[in-house]
Amino acid sequence: MKETPLSACERTFLLKAVEEKKRLDGRQTYDYRNIRITFGTDYGCCTVSLGKTRVLAQVSCELVPPKDSRPTEGIVFFNLELSPMASPAFQPNRQSELLVTLNRQLERCLRNSKCIDTESLCVVSGEKVWQIRVDVHVLNHDGNLMDAASIAAISALSHFRRPDVAIQGRDITIFSPEERDPVALSIYHMPICVSFAFFQQGTYLLVDPCEKEEQVTDGLLVIAMNKHREICSIQSSGGIMLLKDQVLRCSKIASVKVSEITDLINKALENDKRVRKEGGRFGFAESMPKERITALKRDEAPVEMTGVQEMAEEFLSKGEAAPEVVSSPVIVATGTGQLGEGVQSTWGLEEEDEEDECQGEMDKEEKKKKKAEKDEVMVISDSEEEEVVVLNPEAPKSKGKRPKH
Amino acid sequence: MDQIETGSGSVLREYGSEQNLLSKPDGSATFLQGDTSVLAGVYGPAEVKVNKEIYDRATLEVVVQPKVGMSSVRERAREQCVRETCEAVLLSTLHPRSSLTLILQVVHDDGSLLSCCLNAACMALMDAGLPMGRLFCGVTCAIDSDSQIITDPTAQQERESRALMTFAIDSKERNVLMSSTKGSFSVKELQQCIALSQKASEKIFQFYRDSVKRRYSKIL
Amino acid sequence: MAGLELLSDQGYRLDGRRAAELRKLQARMGVFAQADGSAYLEQGNTKALAVVYGPHEVRGSRSRTLHDRAVINCQYSMATFSTAERKRRPHGDRKSSEMSLHLKQTFEAAVLTQLYPRSQIDIYVKILQSDGGNYSACVNAATLALVDAGIPMRDYVCACTAGFVEDTPLADLCHAEESGGGTTLALALLPRSESIALVQMDARLHQDHLDPLMEAAMTACKGLSKVLDSVVRQHLQEVSVQTRE
Repeated sequence: MKETPLSACERTFLLKAVEEKKRLDGRQTYDYRNIRITFGTDYGCCTVSLGKTRVLAQVSCELVPPKDSRPTEGIVFFNLELSPMASPAFQPNRQSELLVTLNRQLERCLRNSKCIDTESLCVVSGEKVWQIRVDVHVLNHDGNLMDAASIAAISALSHFRRPDVAIQGRDITIFSPEERDPVALSIYHMPICVSFAFFQQGTYLLVDPCEKEEQVTDGLLVIAMNKHREICSIQSSGGIMLLKDQVLRCSKIASVKVSEITDLINKALENDKRVRKEGGRFGFAESMPKERITALKRDEAPVEMTGVQEMAEEFLSKGEAAPEVVSSPVIVATGTGQLGEGVQSTWGLEEEDEEDECQGEMDKEEKKKKKAEKDEVMVISDSEEEEVVVLNPEAPKSKGKRPKH
Repeated sequence: MDQIETGSGSVLREYGSEQNLLSKPDGSATFLQGDTSVLAGVYGPAEVKVNKEIYDRATLEVVVQPKVGMSSVRERAREQCVRETCEAVLLSTLHPRSSLTLILQVVHDDGSLLSCCLNAACMALMDAGLPMGRLFCGVTCAIDSDSQIITDPTAQQERESRALMTFAIDSKERNVLMSSTKGSFSVKELQQCIALSQKASEKIFQFYRDSVKRRYSKIL
Repeated sequence: MAGLELLSDQGYRLDGRRAAELRKLQARMGVFAQADGSAYLEQGNTKALAVVYGPHEVRGSRSRTLHDRAVINCQYSMATFSTAERKRRPHGDRKSSEMSLHLKQTFEAAVLTQLYPRSQIDIYVKILQSDGGNYSACVNAATLALVDAGIPMRDYVCACTAGFVEDTPLADLCHAEESGGGTTLALALLPRSESIALVQMDARLHQDHLDPLMEAAMTACKGLSKVLDSVVRQHLQEVSVQTRE
């Protein structure tokens, strides 16, 4: 499927609007869209909505042998997938430029900045370490996938709890969540990406571009920072020319935005922790908005059992009786045996015309259908009758019904 | 095993759905059954690749995306089940040489995943406004070790069951459009489960009706 | 890495350089006769080879043709013997794809593509020995190769890496300094207009240190551009002497 191309007048309109510091949805130049973070029932599952862009992140873990070059450190693996649901241009299993860029940026932002303490993931040095796998699925593409993905990834990592392990000599015992409370990952800081879009050769810039704005942009600058004003990664893409003070100005704006977003994430985590402790309901089911006209929920409903027994018996009585089980194969001719039911064999051996056709448990209509099929088969083979083919010199001459291959 | 107890195990968990929650797909819906949640998105009718086009009907493509890891044979089997159900109800001859794409994303799996996928798919197709001859819904039944039939089992109940069956039931005559079973069971148990699923499907169809009525209540 | 001082008390680095000193840069242009442009560059121990073909008709998918500009196609790969451990996958993995993309973006900004609509320019870069600053060596080698091919550009594109240790910015990092866990900033600059074609930074750095770090990288790039300029002039002299005779 192809993405709808952007028309020339839409492009000029957007560029003119940017020059006048106006945006399509009425935001200011440095404003972010509404961010909504919800957590799922199990630990490590998180959905982030940045305006209409929606991203789902899931963290999972397993015990693996460590890398040879780093025997005492755990492994963190990131995988971002552009679901075909997000945009008609995304095909499943296709390595596009956007996918490579997003994956690498996510890896660099979260792995190279060492936000997770990988030493604490080690169980037995050189033999078993935890491998933390972060899967990010993009569900709806309305611009600025990078920011949404990084917020989702870091929230999911902060929310995740891995099973507790006990080591006694060489034995490792992994406790299930019921036996012992799972343990949170040790996260030093939360790096969050902020995207800046540049227009008209770097004269104008916008924070958090939506999809239409992304299509007319010259280039993008992504700065990942944490709330301690440390820059974790800078990456410029697109063929734009920047000046040094532009980069410095962007980093100042980014630090403001990042501290706001980090507060938001922490608040969401606190909320979730509180709800879980109080024993309230949590998960995506709860976060579904009830007041919306497009949403509806129903409580647990018992299914009526009356009449089920009778209905079932009615079906059974209408159907045919089960066939007697054929215990040994029926020899039809030398070298051929028949086991089980089936249509008339078309090998043209006349002995089995009177063979008992076991119908099996079928309704009357299906029996008729099978008969019709059988007749059709016979008709076809009749019309194909061209020459006599002898299967076996000793066997009796066949009627020549062998279909041509 | 002639007398099968169909006692208190047959409840449908709390279910809910939200439609039109994604802006890019033509139709989208999420369906929740207890803790199991599936998000469905539909694109169509749209342009189709030449090697996949069918001259007199639309080409339906179904993609099931798991939450963790790459998609494997298990997802392909689910895609097949959903696709056959949808092809039976969609009036695809109204859109020849077009493509209809249905994408299902597993958000959380706590049992009855295939029936949740079917329900989400039906709601998404309704949201996209694709012409359908009838609606369909999915119901899962499990037979546990005491020969009790449980509808809409959780993951824990599924693991402990002796047999697991999912049926896609249509709305006009409550026929079985698709069935997918696992485990061993007798013929009688199968018929009982089918009858039970047909009863349960009435609730789900009523739910479809209510949500559509609610959605268009401001317009109609 | 414990015990390895990136900057000693006297201000000397691991290989004896000062903080703002660049590694020795040697380059040769026109190393391949069959290519339109080629260059071989050594920056310290990092050795890079760049080859340019074009501008020519768009090969492969016709749909990539742009009606008003040339398409730049870059491919970055590392030789399997270039690193200490044999590289299993020289190209096609995510890091190489990302590098290729970055190179493409850098040169799309610098090359005057409007002069060649509906054509394609291919740039192939290979790292023969990797000792830090892979990206910068590639960019510098590709610049020389483009000049050798005679493709018009806005300015030389010079790239350099910079790091930060104990409040001192270091210019032109080697492999040990890069993997030491400190900050690495890679910058591609057009020296005359001081515009940055690409900036890339990993690892944590406090925001206040960004300014001196970028300043150091830009100064290093300007120094590099002088060396590249002298290489080009020398090559032209040699070639013109040959053709005159």
